[in-house]
Amino acid sequence: MENNRQMTARQLMQKVSEAIFYADDLKLYLDTHPDDTRALRMFEEAAKNARACVEAFEKRFYPLYAFSADCENDWEWLVGTWPSQIMS
Amino acid sequence: MFVFTKMTQIPVKINNRNPKLASYILSQYGGPDGELGASLRYLSQRFAQTDKSGIALLTDIGTEELGHLEMIGSIVTQLTKGEGARSFDRYGVGDYYIDHANGVYPASAAGVPFTAAYLQSKGDPIADIMEDMAAEQKARATYDNILRMCDDPDVTNVIRYLREREVVHFQRFGELLDKLQSKIK
Repeated sequence: MENNRQMTARQLMQKVSEAIFYADDLKLYLDTHPDDTRALRMFEEAAKNARACVEAFEKRFYPLYAFSADCENDWEWLVGTWPSQIMS
Repeated sequence: MFVFTKMTQIPVKINNRNPKLASYILSQYGGPDGELGASLRYLSQRFAQTDKSGIALLTDIGTEELGHLEMIGSIVTQLTKGEGARSFDRYGVGDYYIDHANGVYPASAAGVPFTAAYLQSKGDPIADIMEDMAAEQKARATYDNILRMCDDPDVTNVIRYLREREVVHFQRFGELLDKLQSKIK
């Protein structure tokens, strides 16, 4: 996650979606190949990277999961681009 | 249970407006081989699976299809954003506007409302997976048809991605079928 400080929300979202996609696709493969040790190690790395990308995005921009929403003063979950909206 | 993530599987950003194209793509929302039918099919059939790979695969692919439903809804919304009654009419989809305006309604390209008759849940793990493999091919063929009708690169990029996912799902279902059949032999 180098240089993520300079990235726009759209650029960092691209990284997040790539990272989650990689882990999700490996997940489907592992569902039918649960003993493939190489894929298991790849998933371990992919899941770690996906978590880091989500955390970096949420820290800089807005919550992707309701559990991450800040609720000290107002309801931060409303903030951000929803799938029905267009990210600027 | 399900946890919502405030993003689409890949970013969807459509710059041009085209209500006619939206009405074609809507078929993958609520049409006979669309994402709503796919997600309901897998998420219902998984209750009949006994093999852990089968339960997991139907749950995970069914969940991904729900995400694809969301992406199709996003494409349709963006293609019609800001367009009014006259524009829908000029594009030849005034009839859609009369009933749904800019709303996203689960129907086929021809306007037939979604029905659960598009899917089966047979209570037979092998019969269900065979249906699922056919369903993935039919969805892939529908995406091919959409690509033949569409020359907007913002749209084709997303449709090509969704098409590719159907191919991957077909592959995974085939592996599951082999596993289930080898357990009987």
